[in-house]
Amino acid sequence: MSPNSMDLVDRRTLLKLTGGAGVGALAGCLSTTDDGEDGSDGSDGSDGSDGSDGENGTDGDDGSDDGGDSTDAYEIGMVDSQTGSLSAFGERNQRGVNLALQRVNEIGIDGRDLEIIVEDSESENQGGIAAAQKLVNQDGVPFLIGAVGSGVSLAIYESVVEGTDVVQLSQNSTGLNLTDFPGLLRMSPSGRSQSLALSNLITDDGYDEVAITYVNNDYGQSLTDAFVDAYDGEVVYNSPHDQEQQSYSGVISEMNSSGADAWLFITYQAEFATMVNEVYSSGYEAQFYGADSVSGDNVLENTPEGSIDGMKIVVPSAPIEEENYQSFASDFEEEYGRQPTSWAAYAYDCAINAALAIQAADEFTGAALQETVRRVSGPEGEEATSFEAASQILADGGGPDDVDYQGVSGPIDFDENGDPVGFLQVLEVQDHAYEGIDFIEG
Amino acid sequence: MTVLGYLANGLVFSSIIVLGSIGLSLVYSIADFANFAHGDTMTIGAYTALVTFGAVGGLGGAVLGLPYGFFLALVVGIAVAAVVAVGTEKLIYEPLDVDSIGLLITSIGIAFIYRAVIQIRFGSGFTRFDIQPLRPIESLVPYGVRVTLHDVAIVGSAAVLVVGLHVLLQYTDLGRKMRAMADNPDLARVSGIRTKRVKLWTWVIGAGLAGAGGVFLGLFNQLSPRMGFNLLLVIFAAVILGGIGSVYGAMAGGFLIGMINQLTPFFSNVVEALPIAPNWLETVLENLISIEYANAIAFVIMVVVLLVRPNGIAGEGAT
Repeated sequence: MSPNSMDLVDRRTLLKLTGGAGVGALAGCLSTTDDGEDGSDGSDGSDGSDGSDGENGTDGDDGSDDGGDSTDAYEIGMVDSQTGSLSAFGERNQRGVNLALQRVNEIGIDGRDLEIIVEDSESENQGGIAAAQKLVNQDGVPFLIGAVGSGVSLAIYESVVEGTDVVQLSQNSTGLNLTDFPGLLRMSPSGRSQSLALSNLITDDGYDEVAITYVNNDYGQSLTDAFVDAYDGEVVYNSPHDQEQQSYSGVISEMNSSGADAWLFITYQAEFATMVNEVYSSGYEAQFYGADSVSGDNVLENTPEGSIDGMKIVVPSAPIEEENYQSFASDFEEEYGRQPTSWAAYAYDCAINAALAIQAADEFTGAALQETVRRVSGPEGEEATSFEAASQILADGGGPDDVDYQGVSGPIDFDENGDPVGFLQVLEVQDHAYEGIDFIEG
Repeated sequence: MTVLGYLANGLVFSSIIVLGSIGLSLVYSIADFANFAHGDTMTIGAYTALVTFGAVGGLGGAVLGLPYGFFLALVVGIAVAAVVAVGTEKLIYEPLDVDSIGLLITSIGIAFIYRAVIQIRFGSGFTRFDIQPLRPIESLVPYGVRVTLHDVAIVGSAAVLVVGLHVLLQYTDLGRKMRAMADNPDLARVSGIRTKRVKLWTWVIGAGLAGAGGVFLGLFNQLSPRMGFNLLLVIFAAVILGGIGSVYGAMAGGFLIGMINQLTPFFSNVVEALPIAPNWLETVLENLISIEYANAIAFVIMVVVLLVRPNGIAGEGAT
């Protein structure tokens, strides 16, 4: 008993000291201007005491040490938007992840189950950070799936994951700036691939002049910038508009007087519907193009019949003609009584990719998973379209490079920035309904 | 697009703002507080018309591209907006014994309640009246004017309502009482005017006009639970520009703000065409006078007018 209590005292003093150091660091940075990162460092300082108390990091090692003889489930974490503005995505993700867990646990990973601890981000940065901190620091998960919103994913990466060897794989974030963080993987394609696809599409259709209007926020601005960079023709009109205005007739008439025959809309459904009605009642004619955020049944319902026929829209999409997607879709429909969305497919692939990375890794640690997570779905190796097939290759003695998992959402193949090869579908409006006309690999 | 075209667009947009701003100014002058629930009163009018129109249908014929049923829906929308406003006055504003700041804050709460009720019933998405949208009037297109018959209907109906209000204020007993009360409520009361009754009528007229504005806004653009609230800031600007409390000022202010808002592309064309003396000034102006700042430009003009005429275009309290 007594050595134990000694230990405890030691630990307490250590805690005090590190805590004090943390406060000191915090106080130090109060006088400096860049308290953004340093501030969180400061709180890390007290976390540091956590580290010393737990040897938590090695706890994880412990887990894998007894991996040989234990049949405990592998635990990984997931930060999801179960509540808040993106909760619809959260529900889709959960359906996808649960289906993936069924597939994985039917077979098992070296005889063990996979378990995913899900925490709610409330669709907010703060909630996401708290959830990730709980998962990484308390549960000690080496692999973190999260999050939905791009801002939340980045916040988690910058304040919890960066600097550790935990693997973070975002299931649904499409923000362009995630590309600047190679350590942050994601399953859904970057918005940049959409901009590139749009620019190719417009060029291929033979338009060398385009007029753009975009919604005046980060989303609209970044997609538009990427488009302008990629487009070879001339951008003759490029102007932002505010959300929720009662009239966009000024924007429309300027686009018309710009003389371009191709008009590109990067905005939201309500704003786009307003613009279409104003184009219609002003009698203008042009070939429309749009980002995925302008498509929706509410747009079709609230615009005049035939007013947007011929419009082309690029949307991120699972390769719905591939066989593995179709079997995923039929399983999904059997389970939930509805068609899956791309967002569920991304979450499904996150869980499968994680399971394969765990199976391929020597031990259940962040460092080991970092080594395998990209390679099990990377372009090298034998293509496998299901967890069963991929897991079989690994079980037969294959290494991570011997298997190339083809996801239901696309070929995955993370690039050096942690972005997947995007799979996009081109929709055309025909008879006032969306028809898929083509698939593009981003 | 020609100047005429921009002016026509401005006229249509102004009509809606004028209908909204009259009611706001009227209530301010007589009930003596800035009613933040005014925008959502417009929304109530619009959604009532949506439901009514859905229930009664077209009723056979049509005038100016609008079925008869729509005009019936318009009347019902006006009536319900007025009833809701009077009910709110009776149930909440009147029993509350607070000053005008207290009422102002209360009205923000009321606005949230109105909007929440609409959202519960209709969801937060957008919708439109089930009326076939029209193409521009062919004979006007050569002049660069691209308006539909619906736009003509909006301007026409707004003109009828505004003229009606003018007649009411100037030539009827109620109008005289309202003007007396706006000038000096205490004096009006000792001269035997039943101020409470006049106040109720003010709510009826103000909210009714707002309801009409909401219906036209829905026809012009689309219906969504935030439609009225989103327009409220512009309406406040119009009312303050015109001179708060003055009905004719509100008309002028609404007209100006709507016009400036829609004429911004024309201004930017003018600036581009004009040879402005120092080059840097021209660059600055070209960058600032652009469509994305349409509302900001309207507000700058409002501030400039207020610097010259602190009480607004129509001065103070001249109902």
